[in-house]
Amino acid sequence: MSSSIGEKCTKIKQEYDSCFNTWYSEKFLKGDVTPMCDDLFFRYKDCLLKVLEEKKLDTLLADARKDNPFPNSSANSESNKKD
Amino acid sequence: MVKFYQHTSSFEHAWDNVTYAFWLRYPNPFASHVVGCDVVDRQVDSETGVLRTTRLIHKQGVLPRWGRNLIKSTDTYIIEESEVDPRTQTMVTRTKNLNHVRVMQVEETQIFSVHPENPKWTQVKTEARIISELRWGLTGSVESFGINKFMDNSVRARKGMAHILERLRHNATLATTPAEKPVA
Repeated sequence: MSSSIGEKCTKIKQEYDSCFNTWYSEKFLKGDVTPMCDDLFFRYKDCLLKVLEEKKLDTLLADARKDNPFPNSSANSESNKKD
Repeated sequence: MVKFYQHTSSFEHAWDNVTYAFWLRYPNPFASHVVGCDVVDRQVDSETGVLRTTRLIHKQGVLPRWGRNLIKSTDTYIIEESEVDPRTQTMVTRTKNLNHVRVMQVEETQIFSVHPENPKWTQVKTEARIISELRWGLTGSVESFGINKFMDNSVRARKGMAHILERLRHNATLATTPAEKPVA
């Protein structure tokens, strides 16, 4: 499993990854989208956001995410809204 | 300067496993330049059931001689956004570098779908756009470096995925007996 960009987040990141891998292969791909790893993800993200801020990657990332990478996607909730 | 690149390839592995391997692909022996990879956001669209993920990948690499005056740091950050639609069995991934963009921006889109000729295989369509804003005669170097480096990296990325897929096949991780699943 890969390390986190912030060394101090690697442990929680790998715990989350393990959970996600199980969820993805045993639930998601079989049609069950019930969340399973939310608690781990929140704890991991809490750690990661601080690291991104410290490394000044937060603004770089926010800018890059302004463009919608999937403009034609069916999962694009804006275009998906049926009024 | 903008350069385009297109490529279609396949893996002799089922779509499920290929998309699973995508999440597991770092670390692998062909990606020693990848030092970190984080999930920044992840959610399932409640209407469509599509899984959308944003990851941030940290790479460290060696620069060509002409690049050493242009780029101070060898750290590169890549944003990877992806969608997995289990209903249509399609995974779309888009990556681009976040820094050094003036020297060179590489935007890559990959579409993983069930192989049209063999439902047990996966087809991968890759499209890339390499953009450089550099002038003063450097465009040629950047252009050839960009394309060569990109193709080189594509080959390594494929080898990395193949490595992970073989490991999965060996471990039968996605087999129908989840009880036997080893700890990844």
